[in-house]
Amino acid sequence: MITLDPAILNRVIKPARYTGNEWNSVKKDHSTVSVTFALALPDVYEVGMSNLGLKILYQILNNRTDTAAERVYTPWVDMEAEMRAHNIPLYTLESLTPVAEFDIVGFSLQYEMSYSNVLNMLDLAGIPLLTAQRDENEPLIVGGGPCTFNAEPVADFFDCFILGEGEEIIEDMVEVVLAWKKAEKVDGKLGLLKKLAQIEGMYVPSLYDVTYNADGTMAQVVPNCTEASPVVTKRVVKDLNTVEYATRPVVPYLDIVHNRIMLELFRGCTRGCRFCQAGVLYRPVRERTPETLLRIANELVDSTGYSEMSLTSLSSADYSCLPEVVQLLINEFKEQSVSISLPSLRIDSFSIELAQKLQQVRKSGLTFAPEAGSQRLRDVINKGVTEQNLEDAVGAAFGAGWSTVKLYFMMGLPTETDEDVLGIAKLAYRVLDIYKQVTGRRGAKVTISVACFVPKPHTPFQWFGQDMAVEFERKQRLLKAELRDRNITFNWHDARTSFLEGAFARGDRRLGKVLLAAWSHGARFDGWSEHFKYNVWMEAFKGSEIDPHFYATRERTMNEVMPWDHLSSGATKEFLAKEYGQAIGEVLTSDCRRDQCNDCGVCPELDVKVIDWGNKA
Amino acid sequence: MARLRLEITKGEEIRYISHLDYASAIERAIIRAKLPAAYSEGFNPHMKLSFASALAVGVTSQGEYMDIEFKEEVDLSQGVNRLVTTLPLGIMVKSAKYMPEKIPALMAIVNLATYDVLVPFRAGEFVAVGESIRRFNEAQQVLHTRETPKGRKEIEVKQYMAKPISVTQQDNQVLLAMDIKITPTGSIKPGEILAALVILFDLNVDKDKALINRTGLYVADNKTRVKPIEL
Repeated sequence: MITLDPAILNRVIKPARYTGNEWNSVKKDHSTVSVTFALALPDVYEVGMSNLGLKILYQILNNRTDTAAERVYTPWVDMEAEMRAHNIPLYTLESLTPVAEFDIVGFSLQYEMSYSNVLNMLDLAGIPLLTAQRDENEPLIVGGGPCTFNAEPVADFFDCFILGEGEEIIEDMVEVVLAWKKAEKVDGKLGLLKKLAQIEGMYVPSLYDVTYNADGTMAQVVPNCTEASPVVTKRVVKDLNTVEYATRPVVPYLDIVHNRIMLELFRGCTRGCRFCQAGVLYRPVRERTPETLLRIANELVDSTGYSEMSLTSLSSADYSCLPEVVQLLINEFKEQSVSISLPSLRIDSFSIELAQKLQQVRKSGLTFAPEAGSQRLRDVINKGVTEQNLEDAVGAAFGAGWSTVKLYFMMGLPTETDEDVLGIAKLAYRVLDIYKQVTGRRGAKVTISVACFVPKPHTPFQWFGQDMAVEFERKQRLLKAELRDRNITFNWHDARTSFLEGAFARGDRRLGKVLLAAWSHGARFDGWSEHFKYNVWMEAFKGSEIDPHFYATRERTMNEVMPWDHLSSGATKEFLAKEYGQAIGEVLTSDCRRDQCNDCGVCPELDVKVIDWGNKA
Repeated sequence: MARLRLEITKGEEIRYISHLDYASAIERAIIRAKLPAAYSEGFNPHMKLSFASALAVGVTSQGEYMDIEFKEEVDLSQGVNRLVTTLPLGIMVKSAKYMPEKIPALMAIVNLATYDVLVPFRAGEFVAVGESIRRFNEAQQVLHTRETPKGRKEIEVKQYMAKPISVTQQDNQVLLAMDIKITPTGSIKPGEILAALVILFDLNVDKDKALINRTGLYVADNKTRVKPIEL
């Protein structure tokens, strides 16, 4: 157990990030359990504590009497300096136990720009960074979350990865580790890895050999032992009504990013936006029943004392029984003054009516995501939203009394022209005009946020060459010159951060040494603009003789072997290729949730089906 | 409507949380306990809680006071028992009492705070510590520069001292007991007094390692000190 010097805690900002003791945190005596599991998220406390997946796993693991699960996040730079200066190893918040003493350390990998923090946390823990340097006496390092679907850039540092939903596989994993420990760690680390590799959905990168072609592209990835399967397919929970949910989440003292109850209505989204990785990774749509949701909501209010509840999903407005569930929840919690909110709105007047019913705080305004500035480009990405939808939605919002609207876009989408980019400005002015038409006054506030598009693995755009940073910057200037009205605020993303994200999103194992070099030269918190050190990264690429453009901005040929071809979301490469073709042809694909099946391959491959309570047929 | 006054603690477990976070933690405990708390009207209703005095990050307390408004009166011991099971580690209820509804706010009546400051001193120099404290106690005026995000401001410390600082030795640490006035125009934090002692009176202690504990809050006049819960 670590003891923390008050002098350190008095010096760092937000010391409560490091002292634990939160409501619902679970403290177990480690001598009474057989497996200890540190659940880590490689970002600061306020971000890590907001992750729903880890909350669920924390509860599932701690429900087991033989397992203790504890939390650990990345110390902010001030605390890191203190820890290094005073030889304090990375520790968990429940029992202040050094992370190196745990059996398993699991990292949630949500975002490529958090990779340097993983290395930094391992280092702060005193755990050797490379899997090859760790034996059976070191913790097993496992990764989960969306980034594992192209785990290759971090394959050197992890012993194994969980692909897909963790509720069931996490227990399979604990059972394997438990049995291995009971058998006195039979056959050492390799023995354990080979056992883990036999769990469905578990990827053990060291059990695969990678070869490359002369042009640098991938030749093949093949297992080097019989225990590893040539293709690892994700795990998926068939019925969300019967699986454990995070009904007793840790309630922080600090104000965290999502400081409210998260009620997950359903998992999956099959609207089929072609840029969207989550839309592919979390297929198919599986809804919870209104009864389950009401039960969970009650348990959550009782166990947390939160007075705010957010109805979360990839696209919550698509929940089949949303008006009924919203009414049920409002009635249930009126007495306790629990407010209900929707994190995102669909672009239609139905959503506005709903928002009105929920009486969402007006000052925050409404947020919509048209994603692209022209109808042509919205068809390319299969957004399925028309100019008319947007005008109706915005008009309804202004009619209902809102005056602030936020619009989210991307630039750098396939086939994009300057005309499409300028379409974003046109749309912004159109929104101001609509406000004047509806209210007879001026004075609407429109915020335009434009991200740089980063093509992701397992999407129809996985072959697409990302725009160069200079091209993003040119388009940003182009748009900025058009957005001169003082009622329009224009936000844009840093093109160089997106470039790096692009290289790592579609990178392969050779990027491991770049990551190691960048981290050792001070890269960390790369997702935080104040800490992003672009030059350190470019030096690391140069020193490793690797060209980041090969990964980020190069258009792949359709028959190229991808570094993630052996990692399956269930959706076939043929389906993704067909969708890319449809995109170029500006042809829409319908939502299989309430329309015909588009043969993505997920349901037959995973033996699951769409569960949509509005789709009784 | 009913107004419940509580005497509560802020223990070692939650030493490093802010006053706002402390208040939210209590608010959530009240919801978990299903006590009939009253809310303000309006678009963004909030629970009607009021505190006597804010407590800084890094400071514990043995005597904090807060008023909660209830929509209806609940049985005192039942209500407190429910709350005790839902309060997080570090917040204990020491006493509870219903107050008449029309009384002045806690913030308006509490005018004295007492603190213990436990801080390590350099070995063998306790005599010097006593000397520093004596000089501080005898000074007519002590000017301390307060630094805030808004800028620097010079404040006179002694006007807030209700009595001389007392000092005792505890192994290699010293325990300073400070009684500080809370006035309508302001007050001073024990950490600031410690800083003034170090900077202006050569108090040879490791002030970064100081553990500050509020020992009480009072309604005081020249003769008496009464806890807000004894009113």
